[in-house]
Amino acid sequence: MPSTRPPALALSRPRRTPALQRITRRAAPWRRICLAALFVLAFILPAARAHADDLPSFVHDGQLTLCTNPTLPPMTFVNGSDTNALAGMDIDLARRLAAYWHVPLVPQTMDFEGLFPSLSAQRCGMVISGVLRQAGRLRNYDAVAYLDSSVVAVARVGTPRIRTMADLSGQTVAVQSGTSYAAQIERENDRLRAAGRLPIILQQYPTEDQVVQQVLIGRVHAFISQDVELYYRQKQLGGKVTIILTPDYPDFHQFAVYIRKDAHDTELLQKAIDDLTQQGELSAMARKWGISGDHQSVFTDRKASSRFDFATFFSALLSTAFLKGAALTLVIAILSHLTAIIISVPMAMKLNGRDSIVRRLLGLYVAIFRGAPTLLQLLFIWNALPQFFPIFREHWFTPFLATWLSLSINESAYQVEINRAALRAVDPGQVLAADALGMTTAQTYRHVIFPQALRIALPPTINEFISLLKTTSLASVISLQELLAVTQIQVARTFQFTEYYAAALVYYLAMVFFFLFLQKRIERRFVWADRDKASTDAA
Amino acid sequence: MQLSTSPDPTARISIRGLSKFYKDYLALDRVDLDVRKGERIVVLGPSGSGKSTFIRCLNRIEPHDSGVLMIDGRVIDDRTDLTALRGSVGMVFQNYNLFPHLSVLDNCTLAPRLVRGVGTSDAEATARRYLSQVNIAEQADKFPIQLSGGQQQRVAIARALCMNPEIILFDEPTAALDPESISGIVGIMRDLTEQGITTVCVTHEMGFARHIADRIVFMDRGAVLEITPPEEFFTAPRTERARTFLAQMIRH
Repeated sequence: MPSTRPPALALSRPRRTPALQRITRRAAPWRRICLAALFVLAFILPAARAHADDLPSFVHDGQLTLCTNPTLPPMTFVNGSDTNALAGMDIDLARRLAAYWHVPLVPQTMDFEGLFPSLSAQRCGMVISGVLRQAGRLRNYDAVAYLDSSVVAVARVGTPRIRTMADLSGQTVAVQSGTSYAAQIERENDRLRAAGRLPIILQQYPTEDQVVQQVLIGRVHAFISQDVELYYRQKQLGGKVTIILTPDYPDFHQFAVYIRKDAHDTELLQKAIDDLTQQGELSAMARKWGISGDHQSVFTDRKASSRFDFATFFSALLSTAFLKGAALTLVIAILSHLTAIIISVPMAMKLNGRDSIVRRLLGLYVAIFRGAPTLLQLLFIWNALPQFFPIFREHWFTPFLATWLSLSINESAYQVEINRAALRAVDPGQVLAADALGMTTAQTYRHVIFPQALRIALPPTINEFISLLKTTSLASVISLQELLAVTQIQVARTFQFTEYYAAALVYYLAMVFFFLFLQKRIERRFVWADRDKASTDAA
Repeated sequence: MQLSTSPDPTARISIRGLSKFYKDYLALDRVDLDVRKGERIVVLGPSGSGKSTFIRCLNRIEPHDSGVLMIDGRVIDDRTDLTALRGSVGMVFQNYNLFPHLSVLDNCTLAPRLVRGVGTSDAEATARRYLSQVNIAEQADKFPIQLSGGQQQRVAIARALCMNPEIILFDEPTAALDPESISGIVGIMRDLTEQGITTVCVTHEMGFARHIADRIVFMDRGAVLEITPPEEFFTAPRTERARTFLAQMIRH
């Protein structure tokens, strides 16, 4: 385990006193900066040395926002079981930059694929997440390098070293999806095919820890990563893997801070990085996180146990991180499904009614939201919506709200079909009888149709809910810290896959079993539909 | 039978020139009829003759398109308070249409409580009285699914009675019942007459019609062809259509 725990710095947005807020809002820009600076100096970093004459435009609302995917130690990761405690070289750099500009840092975590869309959507001012400085990315974003690095190909210990990437011809190689290693391997493959040789078979995984795991379990021959990551992983991987090649790719030499295109901002960021470099702060950070340049010293021969560790399993099971993740999963699933049910009941009534414009629009709604993948809907609402409506990039629009919104809409499209079938299954003679007794339409629905439709709709609805409970795991892509996101972050930190996956499984199963039990209990209330049970119970 | 051209406000039900269309299809063709208080009318006719449409117009579950419908001297049209109308004109269906999710007792008390605002204990007392009248008081706490067809139909009648109607419409009440249950229903319908309740009944059961009817209304293609006492209708029908109808009925 890493011995370098980060200082207990509050990463949540520091609160300002209302009075100070009022003053800063009214004050002229220079006074605002001075007040903010005074505040920061007094409370956060008494030792801040740099002077910011001019703030880059991505620092606004008095804060520096950061997008990062904390699954890449030692650059950016979660250190310890508290998923909010970010750590690593990147996080230290971001904090230092915030201090440099005398503003608080507001980090946001998300999937790697979500980083650049979030930057474009102005959800954050900068991306620091172990991202390499590359020509392709520079077309759309500006980047300032802060750390030298090199690419490594890693295989299980005992695998012979190779001379070039071409030696991997016909072998399977794993990389993290969203990274540029895939494109680089495609270029290698073009050369291999041109030479009449077999291409390298590529597998992509959403997190770096899964990439490494593929090598450990022997599914792939090697994985491609950065050397810095291996410096950190050596504690977990000692004696299990070895570097087989350090290919010289010019595009993979530097980690960079990415910002939206703006020449002036880039100049200010470059100056900040230069200042920190000159003051020796960057190299101090690199030393702190064990990032040193000697490849061969990385893998000392240390045997790690490969047996299932019950202590880890139980501590994961009882950890507040897992408990919070499971609670979040449960809350978002229940809220989304309740919302879906509430909006789908009138929709179903309308869809069962006469043909109209509204009915056709509802039909279109159902077709679209049942047709589009849920993951795509989540990504669309989180990343694309802010491009059309800037209001969705404000801070109130949290990952929680975005998940609630998209899962409610998505689920309502499925629930409406259940409701429609259930309402249709109620005998029309029931409406006739209620009508003949002088009951109003509302009374008929409330006391005659809904109670009967509920019985028909209940089993498929519980089914939908169980499915939704598991669908919430998709929300990790928009940085909601639900159960699976928590699990992956923990795995990235400790590499104890089996123990953490097992703990997550226990939570999911426990929740699903509870709802199945609930279904049985509720179904017992519908004795009226079952002649045999009704005769024994009602006596 | 020749009726005057204007409706009779002293009759319980008075109908003149009642017509009903389904798009271009003429379902009811200028029906004229007067029904006295406490009278038992049976409507006969082949399938598709408009019998069911006719009685559904009487409680305006199907609104008529032209003609006059008068109940107790009040004209029934689109300005009529439907809640009040349905309270005074009850209905019993071929498939009973009991509410399956409610007990027998709750089936009988639901409408009085919701529509009339009767208190639960009063509604239950009334319900138990009518359930006794139709001889199923002991089934009050069961669900409809636990009852036989005849028992369910008796609950349906009790449910209608709980609204204290002056008229009860029966839409083929015996179609799904065995002969024994049918004779039970005949007895109940006679009791209703003694309470002064007027009944209009659509049926296919000739024996049942003959037993209970004060007058037979024979319909074909939406029009009333004969209104006669049952003895006369079954022995000497006036129209050729009625004769062929009866001949077919006897053959089957």
